[in-house]
Amino acid sequence: METLGYLMDGFGVALQPHNLMFALLGAFLGTLIGALPGLGPANGVAILIPLAFSLGLAPETALIMLTSVYAGAMYGGRISSILLNIPGDEPAMMTCLDGYPMAQKGKASEALAISAVASFIGSLIATVGLILLAPLLANFALTFGPAEYFALFLLAFATLGGITGKNPIKTVVAACIGLMIATVGIDNTGVQRYTFGVLELFEGVDFIIAIVGLFAISELLFFIEERAGGGKEKMKVNKLSLSWKDIREILPTSFRGGVLGFVAGVLPGAGASLGSFISYTLEKRVLGKKGYFGQGDPRGVAAPEAGNNGASSGALVPMLTLGVPGSGTTAVLLALLISLNITPGPLMFTQNADIVWGVIAALLIGNFLLLILNIPLVGIFVKLLSVPPMYLLPIVTMVAFVGIYSISNTIFDLYFMVAFGVGGYVLRKLEIPLVPVILGLLLGPEMEKNLRHAMDISDGDWMILWDSGLAIGLWVFAGLGLILPYIVGPLLRRGMKGTTPASGSPESD
Amino acid sequence: MTFNDRIFGVLMIVLAVAYGWAATQFPEPFGGAEAVGPDTFPKLLAVVLAISSLYLIVRPDPDNAWPWSRTGIELIIAVVVLIFYAMLLQPLGFVISTTLAVGTLCWRMGARPLNAYMTGAVSGVVVYFLFSFALDLALPLGLLSFLEVN
Repeated sequence: METLGYLMDGFGVALQPHNLMFALLGAFLGTLIGALPGLGPANGVAILIPLAFSLGLAPETALIMLTSVYAGAMYGGRISSILLNIPGDEPAMMTCLDGYPMAQKGKASEALAISAVASFIGSLIATVGLILLAPLLANFALTFGPAEYFALFLLAFATLGGITGKNPIKTVVAACIGLMIATVGIDNTGVQRYTFGVLELFEGVDFIIAIVGLFAISELLFFIEERAGGGKEKMKVNKLSLSWKDIREILPTSFRGGVLGFVAGVLPGAGASLGSFISYTLEKRVLGKKGYFGQGDPRGVAAPEAGNNGASSGALVPMLTLGVPGSGTTAVLLALLISLNITPGPLMFTQNADIVWGVIAALLIGNFLLLILNIPLVGIFVKLLSVPPMYLLPIVTMVAFVGIYSISNTIFDLYFMVAFGVGGYVLRKLEIPLVPVILGLLLGPEMEKNLRHAMDISDGDWMILWDSGLAIGLWVFAGLGLILPYIVGPLLRRGMKGTTPASGSPESD
Repeated sequence: MTFNDRIFGVLMIVLAVAYGWAATQFPEPFGGAEAVGPDTFPKLLAVVLAISSLYLIVRPDPDNAWPWSRTGIELIIAVVVLIFYAMLLQPLGFVISTTLAVGTLCWRMGARPLNAYMTGAVSGVVVYFLFSFALDLALPLGLLSFLEVN
């Protein structure tokens, strides 16, 4: 009941006209970002963060806008899956399987509408799940001590590669690089670390600059390398003829997909790609012969879309309650929180209740907005698919420059961003994932602080890190997160193959 | 071929050693040494990085091809354009430097030169006006500052 009261307050925040306006703007921009070739959700949200700062938005407004962008990008990713058989982002991969055949049969707009409805249902279920689960988890997390937090951060890194990840050691290397960059600057005892006497480094490396560089600039370089500058030919979409019966048919599927997706989103190491994969395979199994999966079954479009949107809302649960994001885009959202001076984690639910519940209410409202935006306006987003990246990416890069420049008005930051971009390109070439680098940058200070607290409490006895049942449990899960990919990974990857290979987009679910 | 991971692994071990060694050189914090000083966490990181880099050297993944020849040159051009963009942003002003940078990037990515520089100019002007009037943020005018209306 308490939750309901908070939620009502949240609606009070989210329904304020300016917040509603920014939610709408965010939802629109998000779908745009999802639909545009070469702009993934993590990428898009990262570029918008500096702009949210320069606009001087209130924390709740900024967060509402960017979560709407996040939700919107998940909607937008499906468009190119269905029309072009190219997944807009990794989780949209499974949507190609039945979405593209449907489009070939001349039912593109039905597929788009069905996937919008399924996305809506998946998100809605997961948002309700978020409302129910988040306060419980936040309460539970209040019992965590510094040792548990330290173990929790390790767990976050260990599972970040996901159990479908290729080489967990590369995740570890990436996390180390990120954490190392995070130690640059003056630490809280006043000692200068790795600053080399450079004034600009005294306050540490601004992670916003790092994130924008790693995502936006490296994406530009990748597109240049693949010579993928040309656009796709214009897409024609038939007139929509969707009956109530068609929608009713996909309801059970969407419902199951949403629930599964939510679970996959909350669990560390699963993520949206796995969410959509599981819900698709389950649906195939449940319906068996009754379906014609792979040949344009509407339920084959609904299941993965509900799954991936469910997972993306589910992924907000660990981010909001524990301060531990499970994916690239939620990591970028965490960056926004930290730079707004809000400490993410269980205390946020009591100290910044208006912000948290405002965002949750905004997610609910955003879903309705997205559904309304997506059915009639889908034509606009379809047109965007033909925007050639050779014009789009330079402009996006320019927006990234302006955004970073507008934060501090210094050129030094721009050089830094370009350097991070080149570094990000090299790392991606080596298949070193970028998300752990970013998470290391974000969590580094907190992780070290918790280690120091734990040691202060125990008077320098390292055993305190393994001292409680909870901490041991977290360590075990972290270990499993590193070992399981070697065992389960190859099996699952084989299952997910057979669709078009994901293009050079960064791992962003 | 498995050179990439091996070379990267060696570089990372060098980094880990240098980083760990630097941590031992930190001055003692004011108020005396503690159980966990400023150097503890970096040392831990150095050890973890060194061990995992060793693993990369021992069991490397197959290489991704690097873009040599023309594509590689295009990439270098792009990076140089970005560096010049940052360098010239203040002296030339936002609109001119954007026209040049965005234009060159579009052109190198395959657009026709006229279209490319038109895109650069239009996007520069639009973003400039958006920032100075709608968002109330000053971007440098540079060479065009004689146009400034007070």
